[in-house]
Amino acid sequence: MSAYLLQMKGIAKRFDGVPALDGIDLAIRPGECIGLCGENGAGKSTLMKVLSAVYPYGDWDGEILLDGEPLRARSVRETEAAGVVIIHQELMLVPELSVAENLFLGNELTLPGGRLDYPAMNRRAEEILRELKLPDVNVVLPVKNYGGGHQQLIEIGKALNKKARLLILDEPSASLTAAEIEVLLDTVRDLKAKGVACVYISHKLEEVAAICDTIVVIRDGRHIATTPMQDMNVDRIIAQMCGRELNQLYPSLPHEIGEVVMEARHISCYDPDQPARRKVDDVSFQLRRGEILGIAGLVGAGRTELVSAIFGSYPGEYEGEVWLDGRKVDTSSPLKAIAAGFALVPEDRKQHGIVRDLSVGENITLSVLQRFSRLTRIDDGLEAREVGAQIARLALKTASPALPITALSGGNQQKAVLAKMLLTGPRVLILDEPTRGVDVGAKFEIYKLMLELAAQGISIIMVSSELAEVLGVSDRVLVMGEGRLRGEFINEGLSQETVLAAAIGQGKP
Amino acid sequence: MTDQAQARAPAAQAPQRAARSTGGLNFKQLFTQYKILALLVAVALIWAFFSWKTDGGFTSARNLSNLMRQMSITGILACGMVFVIIAGEIDLSIGSLLGLLGGVAAVLDVTRHMPLGATVAIVLAAGLVLGCLNGYLTAYAGIPSFIVGLGGMLAYRGILLGVTGGETIAPISDPFQQIGQAYLPPAAGMLLGAALFVLAGVLAWRQRLSLARHQLAVPALWRSVLRVAVAGVVLAAFVSTLNSYEGIPLPVLVLLVLLGVFSYIARQTVFGRRIYAVGSNMEATRLSGINVRAVKLWIFGIMGLMCALAGLINTARLAAGSPSAGTSGELDVIAACFIGGTSMRGGAGTVHGALVGALVMASLDNGMSMLDVDTYWQMIVKGMILTLAVWLDVATRSGRR
Repeated sequence: MSAYLLQMKGIAKRFDGVPALDGIDLAIRPGECIGLCGENGAGKSTLMKVLSAVYPYGDWDGEILLDGEPLRARSVRETEAAGVVIIHQELMLVPELSVAENLFLGNELTLPGGRLDYPAMNRRAEEILRELKLPDVNVVLPVKNYGGGHQQLIEIGKALNKKARLLILDEPSASLTAAEIEVLLDTVRDLKAKGVACVYISHKLEEVAAICDTIVVIRDGRHIATTPMQDMNVDRIIAQMCGRELNQLYPSLPHEIGEVVMEARHISCYDPDQPARRKVDDVSFQLRRGEILGIAGLVGAGRTELVSAIFGSYPGEYEGEVWLDGRKVDTSSPLKAIAAGFALVPEDRKQHGIVRDLSVGENITLSVLQRFSRLTRIDDGLEAREVGAQIARLALKTASPALPITALSGGNQQKAVLAKMLLTGPRVLILDEPTRGVDVGAKFEIYKLMLELAAQGISIIMVSSELAEVLGVSDRVLVMGEGRLRGEFINEGLSQETVLAAAIGQGKP
Repeated sequence: MTDQAQARAPAAQAPQRAARSTGGLNFKQLFTQYKILALLVAVALIWAFFSWKTDGGFTSARNLSNLMRQMSITGILACGMVFVIIAGEIDLSIGSLLGLLGGVAAVLDVTRHMPLGATVAIVLAAGLVLGCLNGYLTAYAGIPSFIVGLGGMLAYRGILLGVTGGETIAPISDPFQQIGQAYLPPAAGMLLGAALFVLAGVLAWRQRLSLARHQLAVPALWRSVLRVAVAGVVLAAFVSTLNSYEGIPLPVLVLLVLLGVFSYIARQTVFGRRIYAVGSNMEATRLSGINVRAVKLWIFGIMGLMCALAGLINTARLAAGSPSAGTSGELDVIAACFIGGTSMRGGAGTVHGALVGALVMASLDNGMSMLDVDTYWQMIVKGMILTLAVWLDVATRSGRR
């Protein structure tokens, strides 16, 4: 009999041959709370998806032992039956169903004949909520009647109802208020006291420091350190999370930074689902001619929302002003923003970047197609020449511009989206995670292109979760956290630690 | 003819080429590449079957002429509908809209004694306006097009019943009847056929040039020649068959013109490119600075215009405005588009494919009527054919991804 509830040994997972996890070890005792820390993209979520069998056994290498016995689950249902329950960042509750119905979703109690046994479910639901110190919740009311904090706890209740012995909490406090977070942390402490083990993933390191017994730091898919919390503090965690050698080279090209070109004033974005909550809270900044401005921050900091509000593509309510060359400009829709001189390469390439059924060339000319049309007819020759020029300029690798865009690699798809936006002749180019899912070679080419564009006087805003990249190419760095501007740094001798500390809210703004 | 299909399906060709080089060919890939040919084979089989059952009556010049005229209504609507579906929407109101506009035309002609030109102009304008209304409600007001169509289906039919008082409006004036019943003189038909043959040759040549310019594999010369030759044989058979009866019917001529115009819009114009882009990924298209709402508005506007055209021809053909005209016509049209390979999730489809789909539906209607098959069996067979066609499409599509 092992002293550990769960052990993960030498877990390795590859995506299309690219290692995402490289030999990670993790061991959890009953009643222990592990804080899993790492930068965006370090592999935390991938590791938890291996543990909860979102990636089934056989999809990865290594071994998972539960109570010393190998756990070879092929589905989330099997891991849940074994007592390992994951609570995702996005809540998996059905808002229209009652609290009790949600707690029993998938495990409904039935009477003979298949009729739902509401009395038993409601009774059990009340017990669970009492355990969670939520006696004021009425289990027959729909979940949507309760706020984000309660919903998070109801989600935990759902896990308890599945007899969870190991609870994985992925960014549980991302959308909670300070008071709600306190309740959440108390609940986790209670669970620990009852012998339930936890893996707690959060960018809010104070929370991690407050409740975790052991800190596991991973970086670039590798296990960096496992340290008891009493030997750690927030600064040390940050140091372990960064500590990366610059394993990529960044091109350099001198470019002149001129006068202020663009100004965003008092931008606020409201959460479309909870109109009272601000995803971006009164952010203002300036951008100079030929400047590359990096916007750093953790996932959920409001960076994408900020730039999409500037470009007029934010889906919810937002307010604020955008000024260009000392004049207020209308950027209330992408159409108007492009006409005003803005261009945006969106974060989600598949959903917002490429048009799947069109060819590479047709994707590139989508924004400026009318330029190639005489009367109504598209001049194929003219279009093909422009496409050819763009493909050469961006070193886009495609056998032919007539190939479907989906036949290209991620990096080349990104270049096609970039080419499309460059054809609009922007003054301000906004790049949201420009190198996500892009291989190293193409990354370098994208950086080089950014510098060339800056040298031509185009101002660039780059949102990126890769700190090394932000520091590698930006002239100036804005740091966002919880929708607010948390810091602004000139990128001279700036360290990853400084930026990360500001993003987490530890720095002096 | 398959120019567009090729331009839009190089993904299917790439594995195809690979398979050929290793000597392995499989049915799925063949079917995907030659889908339009498979459809034509299906039409040939249907025709052969009915011809056998009717002792050649089905393939007589007279009946084929009649079949083409029947098909023209569904075909005209399918031209508009294929754009609607490619853009990721649906329009269920077209059967009722056709009936309403045809009925209005009859009322203007019979009761108000309007000159034909004025009647046609008013009806076309009304079609465009009502189509744009559907488009506005879908694109700007944000009502799902399924609901807008359902509402229109009921409302337009209701207006039609009100306008006609529930009675057939007849008889319409002679010039009006000519719209549906006139024929092109045989000599003009021959000329048209010859012109289309030359056009096919020119298009094939241009396609070769374009493929070469895009560094794509150019098919062997004999294949292009064969394709043009086949087009020539089909055209010759088409013109000579129709000429041996009365000539090319005017509605069929209208349909041929629309085939040309709509294929041109789809392939050669900015608007056409945007239709495919909107249907394939609306959000990405919007972020590219395209007014996706305006694109959708105009697609529905064109659909309304097609309803007006089809309504005029339908009324002319029947020589009367009937309050039940076009009932459940939308179903035949939507079925024609899907049989013709239009993608259900939007973003892909061709005009000529939809028209072959319309030919399938019209052939089934016509043949089964000749055989005196009960109406209920006709419905069952058509339903099964639609399901089967889409199933084949789905099965071969999923194998590719």
